[in-house]
Amino acid sequence: MQPKPTKILFSLFAIIFLFSCSNKSIPSSAKVNYLTSRDGTITMRAIGTGENQQAAIADAEKNAFEVLFFRGLPESEQKIALIGTNEIEEKQKHQTYFDKFYKDQRYKTFLMSSIPTGNATNIKGGSKSIAVDVKINVTALRKDLEQNNVIRKFGY
Amino acid sequence: MSLENLDIKTKQMKNKIIIILILLIASIKSQYALCQTQTNQVNTVQPKIMVIPYTKEGEDIRTILEQDVSRRIAITKIKEGFDGRGFTTVDFTAKLKAAKDNNVFTTESQTDIKTQIIQMSGADVYVQAEVSSLKTETGSSVTLVLTAYEASTGNSLSNKVGESGKFYTDDFGKLASKAVESCVADFLNVMQIKFTDIVNNGKSVIIDISFDANSTYKMSSEIGADKLPLSDQIEMWMEKNAFKNNYHIQGTTALKMIFDDVRIPLKDPANGNNYNPNKFALEIFKFFKGIGLQPTKDIKGSTIFITIK
Repeated sequence: MQPKPTKILFSLFAIIFLFSCSNKSIPSSAKVNYLTSRDGTITMRAIGTGENQQAAIADAEKNAFEVLFFRGLPESEQKIALIGTNEIEEKQKHQTYFDKFYKDQRYKTFLMSSIPTGNATNIKGGSKSIAVDVKINVTALRKDLEQNNVIRKFGY
Repeated sequence: MSLENLDIKTKQMKNKIIIILILLIASIKSQYALCQTQTNQVNTVQPKIMVIPYTKEGEDIRTILEQDVSRRIAITKIKEGFDGRGFTTVDFTAKLKAAKDNNVFTTESQTDIKTQIIQMSGADVYVQAEVSSLKTETGSSVTLVLTAYEASTGNSLSNKVGESGKFYTDDFGKLASKAVESCVADFLNVMQIKFTDIVNNGKSVIIDISFDANSTYKMSSEIGADKLPLSDQIEMWMEKNAFKNNYHIQGTTALKMIFDDVRIPLKDPANGNNYNPNKFALEIFKFFKGIGLQPTKDIKGSTIFITIK
């Protein structure tokens, strides 16, 4: 028996709907606190977790960027989220940018320093946790976001 | 080939055609969207921003700036903040000098001189910087009050207070610089939020509709094809034409109707070109002509004056 055109159409829409609903990541909880800022840079202490120390450091660095992008950092000059508070929507809208930013480790070019405050500690499930002092070049980061049309340039 | 097989083949062909059509429509739509973005490459006209010093009543704005280096440093540092975001401001001191050279100023009070410069510069937004220095036994400090307003409507765009902190120094210029650094980034971030709101919800204009001294019309005059009172005709038009139906009437009397906040788009919805109060005034003008009235229009910044003869 041949499938009816309506069935095919329905299946197509179902596939499109399923694809549009995928890739929604649950935001990770980030423990990021402001330390200092000077001439377009912000230094913050971020906590990250991972399988080993390297992975935990990378997680802390990513958490620092996520907080700057989607939450803002109280007490700093970037109190307001650099991009917006709806991270799921923003990440979907600029998927290519964020893929390059995190997966291709482009974020490292905006990191001025990343210094662990001590050795990683063991946490539940065999993972490691570490606190890292992360210094980010916010001026360059903002320019990059503007050039890639993730945020609007200053003005109308 | 049997009749049944032929029927199946026809159905299969139909399905294929439907799928191809769906794909074709999707492809055309995406191409159209791409073309739209390519053709809509119109540079948005940016607001003109001028940083000005705050002056108390009776203070001479010219001598204040010439004598007080810390105020000049504060203004320069604020402009530096705008430059850092890739935005060019109108230079207040240059305008002041030009105005002085052209003998623009009248002999009225100093506050009027500031107003005259703002009007002469054509600035849409002005940022006012109030610098106050304090020297005590425990150290010296500078406090900066930064406020940004829309020149025509007076809508506040951003407000911040910056502190230099206390230091044992007489270098008030450096302290002023520190006070600016402490708040300028945040100040600009808040301004940008307001600009985003303007992009999304339209620019605010004021519309003042009045009658010529010799006019025989009033706001209650029943005119147009449907013989409705003029004030209602105006409001119905505004309802349709204000951006996202966003308008506010300050008040209506027999001889005047003032809209203190009517939002107009930054880009013309019809062709994507830049839109401004002048174009909106022309639409209002056409509307009045359309209902058989003889209007005159006058535009000053973001305020539209319509006078009905």
